[in-house]
Amino acid sequence: MIGLLSIAIFLPAVLAAPTFLLGRKNPKMAKILGVGTTVIVFAISIVILVVFQYGQAGFQLSESIPWAASFGLNYKVGIDGISLPLLMIATFLSLLSAAGSWDQITFRHAEYYALFLIFETGIIGVFTSLNLILFYLFWEIVLIPMFFFIGIWGGPRRKYASLKFLIFTYSGSAVMLFGFLALYAWTGTSAYPGGPSFDYDVLAARIPNLALPLQLAVAITTFVGFAVKLPIFPLHTWLPDAHVEAPAPVSVLLAGLLLKMGGYGLIRYNLLLFPKAVSVLWPYFTTIGLITMIYGASVALVAKDIKRMIALTSVNHMGYVLLGAFTATVAGVSGAVFQMFSHGLAVGMLFLMSGYIHEHTGTRNIDELKGLRGKMPQTVSLLFLVSMAAMAVPGFANFISEYLVIQGALSVSYLFAIAIVAPALTVGYFLWMLRRVAMTPPVGPKNELHLHSILILVAFLVPLLIFGVYPPPVLGSVIAPTVEKWVGPIVGLGAR
Amino acid sequence: MALLSLTPFLSLAVFGLLAIPAGFLHFGKSKLGLAPFVCILGLAIALVSTVWLGFTSLSPVSFGGFQVDLFTLFFSGVLLIVAIFVTIASLQYMHEDPNKGPFFGLLLLSTLGMIVLAASMDLILLYVGWELMSIPTYALTAFRKRDPNSNEAAMKFFVLSALSSALIVYAISLVFGVTGSTGLTAIASSLSTAGPDFRPFGVLAIVLFIVGFGVKMAVVPFHMWIPDAFEGAPVTIGAFLAAGAKMAAFAAAFRVFIVGISAFNVDFYSTFAIVAVVTMSVGNVAALMQKSFTRLLAYSSIAQAGYILMALATPFTTTNVPLGLAGGLFHVLNYAILKTAAFVAAAAVATKLSVTDLESFNGLSRRMPQTSLSIAVIFLGLAGVPPLNGFFSKVMLFTGSIYSPYSWGGYLALTALINSGFSMSYYGWVIKRMYFDEPGDQSRIPEPRVYMAVLWAATILIFAIGLYPDPWIRLVQNAAAALVASRGL
Repeated sequence: MIGLLSIAIFLPAVLAAPTFLLGRKNPKMAKILGVGTTVIVFAISIVILVVFQYGQAGFQLSESIPWAASFGLNYKVGIDGISLPLLMIATFLSLLSAAGSWDQITFRHAEYYALFLIFETGIIGVFTSLNLILFYLFWEIVLIPMFFFIGIWGGPRRKYASLKFLIFTYSGSAVMLFGFLALYAWTGTSAYPGGPSFDYDVLAARIPNLALPLQLAVAITTFVGFAVKLPIFPLHTWLPDAHVEAPAPVSVLLAGLLLKMGGYGLIRYNLLLFPKAVSVLWPYFTTIGLITMIYGASVALVAKDIKRMIALTSVNHMGYVLLGAFTATVAGVSGAVFQMFSHGLAVGMLFLMSGYIHEHTGTRNIDELKGLRGKMPQTVSLLFLVSMAAMAVPGFANFISEYLVIQGALSVSYLFAIAIVAPALTVGYFLWMLRRVAMTPPVGPKNELHLHSILILVAFLVPLLIFGVYPPPVLGSVIAPTVEKWVGPIVGLGAR
Repeated sequence: MALLSLTPFLSLAVFGLLAIPAGFLHFGKSKLGLAPFVCILGLAIALVSTVWLGFTSLSPVSFGGFQVDLFTLFFSGVLLIVAIFVTIASLQYMHEDPNKGPFFGLLLLSTLGMIVLAASMDLILLYVGWELMSIPTYALTAFRKRDPNSNEAAMKFFVLSALSSALIVYAISLVFGVTGSTGLTAIASSLSTAGPDFRPFGVLAIVLFIVGFGVKMAVVPFHMWIPDAFEGAPVTIGAFLAAGAKMAAFAAAFRVFIVGISAFNVDFYSTFAIVAVVTMSVGNVAALMQKSFTRLLAYSSIAQAGYILMALATPFTTTNVPLGLAGGLFHVLNYAILKTAAFVAAAAVATKLSVTDLESFNGLSRRMPQTSLSIAVIFLGLAGVPPLNGFFSKVMLFTGSIYSPYSWGGYLALTALINSGFSMSYYGWVIKRMYFDEPGDQSRIPEPRVYMAVLWAATILIFAIGLYPDPWIRLVQNAAAALVASRGL
C-alpha cells in the first residue's frame, strides 16, 4: 500500500524521465513538466498538511516495507512536528525555485529539470525517512544533482566550486556513515534482542543502554557529517564558493533546503538519539554554534558581492540552529526548527532576488548597484522587506525563531548573552547594504521585473509575515508537542 | 547426476579448445570469423548452467579436492559475467585482428582456470587452476605483438606473476611438510593441533601465501605491475585482468585462508587489516595523480582491492557467518561489474580517440553522451554513492569490520570510510572533466553499438542491484555460509 509520503517522495523522480526525454527536443516541454511536477508535489504536501493530526507528538502517515530485510533495512517513512515544517518548505521552495528557473536557466533545460526533480525526491526523502540507511541514501541523492547544477549552470568559477562542494560534503557524509554503521553494529549484538536494525525507532529505544564512550563516538562522527552541511565555522569554506557560483534558483535550493538537511540531521539524529552524549558535548557544540553565528556575520560585513553577502548570512543564521538545538531546552530546539523554516524562506527570496538583479543590471557588486531604486523600484521595496525579515525585525517569523533560540540559550547560561552580538552585526551589514544599494539617489532608466517574477518573490514573504504575526499554527500545534515529547526527558537528565 | 555440476567447467574446456580452430572459419566475407561466437556460446552455456545449478543443487558436490558448492558457483557466475562482457567488447576491439581464434580460445581457458580456483579444495588443484588462469593472460597481454607497450606490459606482468606462482608453490610445499596433506580440510584439522615446533614453518607459509596471492590481488606493495600492465595490454584484456584474474585470486585467498589456515592459531587478520589500510590509501592517493584514464582505473582497482581485503580481516566463529565476509563477496560481484564496465568504456573512448589521457576526456559528454553517462554512473558506483551497487557492499564490509572482536575493527572501518570519501575527489574530477570542461574538438563521435550494449547492460545491473539489493545480499550470505561450511568442522 503506497501512502501519501511515498507518492510525494517518488513522484518527482518518476517524472524526471519523461521530463528529460520529452524535453530534449522541446525546452518548453521540459519547463512545463518540471514546474508542473513541483506544483503537483506541493499540492500533495498541502493534502499532507490537511491529513496531519495537530497537537500529536508521534510519527504520522508512517509506512514500512521490508527492503533488504536480510540486512535489517526497511523502507520506513513518517513525519512528526519537526519534519512537517521542513517538508512544507521543501515542496514550497522547490516550486518557487523551479518557477524562478523559468527565466533564469537559459540552456540545457531537459537535463536541468530532470536533475531538479531528482533533487526534490532526495530532499523530501531526507525529511521523511525513518531508517538510517534510507536517510543516507536520500542524503546522497541530493548531492549529485547539486554537483551538476553548480558545475554546468554555474558562474565563472563553477568547476572549482562544484568539485569543492562535492569533496567536502561527500567526505563529511562518509564520516557520518561511520556513525550510522557503528550504531548498527554496536546495538546489533546479542545483548539486544530482535537483531541489528537501522530503524530509527528501534535505535532510539536501544541507545540508552549503549555505553557512554560508544554513544560519544557516534555522536561526534555524525556531528561532523551534519556540521559540514550546516555548515559550522571551520568547515564552511565550500559554502560561499558554492552559493556564489550556483545559478540563483539553485542557490535558493542550497541555502533554503540543503543547509536545512544539516540542521534537521543534527536535531533528529544527534540531539534526540544521544541525550546522554549531548549532556557531555553540549558546551562544545553550542560554542561552535556561537562562533559560527558571529563569524558569519562579521565576514558578511565586508563582502562586496551581494550574493556572497547573502551566502554568509546563511552561515550566520544556521549558527542559531546549532546553538538552539544543543541548548536542549524546549524553547531552544523549537526555535532551531522554526529558524530553519523562516531562514529557508528569507534566504531563498534573497538569493532569487539577487539572481533577478544580476540579470537586469549585469552586476552583483554592492557598490555598483548604487541607485537601484531608479531602475527597479518594486524590487527595492521587496529588498527592504526581506532584509527586515533576515534582520529578524518583529513581525517576521525570523524574529520569533531567533528570540526563542536566544531565550533558550540564556536559560542555560548567562554566558550566552554574548550571542546578542550576532543579530546586532546582522542588522549592521544589512542596513549598510541597503544604505549603499537603496538609499542612494535613483539612477534610471527603469528596468523593472516582470509581474510573474514579482509574484514569485512575494510568495516567499507571505508565510514569513503570517507566521511572524501569528506563529501558533506552526509553533504551538506542530513543533512544540514533538519537541516537548523528545526534549523533555533530556532536560530531566540534568544536562546542566 | 553429480556430474551435471561439472557442466560449466566442461563447457569452457570444450568450447575453449574449439575456439582456436574456429578462428580459421569465416561466414562469407565477414572478418569476424566463428571464434567469438564459439566463445560466447561456451560462456553462455556455462553461465546458464551455473545459475541453474545455483538454484537447484542445494548440497555441495565434492570430487575429492574439487568441490562445487554455492561459493564456487557464486564466483563462477561473477567471473563468467566478466568474461561475457569482455568477449562482447572484444568483438569490436579485436575486429581488425587476424588472430581471433587464439584470442578467444585463451580467454575461455583462462576463465576456466579462474573458476577451477574457486572450486579447489586441494592446494595442488589450486595451483593448476592458478597456472591455467595465468599463462593465457600473459599471451593475451602481449597480444599486440608489434606494440612495444604491450610487450613491456606482458614482460613485467610475466616476471612478477611467475614469481608469485613460485612463492605459492613454496608455500604449498611448506604446508605439506607441516601437515602431510594438500587437502584444505585435512590441513585445517592438522594445523589446529600442530605443535610449537612447526609454528615458524606455518607462519612462513602464511606470509608466502599472502605475498603470492597479493601479487595477483594487487595489494600494496606488490601492485607495481598493475598500472603498466593495464595501460599496455589491449584495453579489454585490462578489464579481464582487473575484474577477472584479480577476483579469482581473491577466491583462492578466501578458500585457502578461511578453510585451511583459519584453524591455525595465528593472527593473520591483523596483517590483512594493515595491508588493507595501506592498499586502499596508496591506491586512492596515487589515483589522484594520474594523467591517463587506464592508469587511474588501475589505481582505483588497487584501492578497491583494499576494501575487499577487509573481508579477510574479519575473524569469525563457527556458529555465525560474518557480515564482513558476505560483504566481501558482494563487493567482489559489484566491483567486477563496475570495473569491467569502466574498462569497456575506456575501450570505447580508445577506439575512437586513439588516446586515453585524461585531457581527451574534457567535454566528452558533448561528444559521446552515452559513454560519458555510463562512466559517470560507474564512477559514482565505485565511490559508493547510493543507490548504486557499490554502496551496499561497502556498507556490509565496513559494518562487518566494526563487528570485529579486535579493538581495531572500528578504526579500520573509519579509515576505509575516509578513504571512500577521499576517492570521490578523483572520481568527481573525471566527471568534472567530462561534463563541465570545454572539449578541444566539438565534433560528435559516433558511439560503437557493441560497447554501448555492454555499458547499458552494466548500468542496468548497477542500478538494479543498488535499488533492490535483497536477493543479492541473500545470495552472498549463502555463498559465504557455503564457504564457512566447506571447512567441514
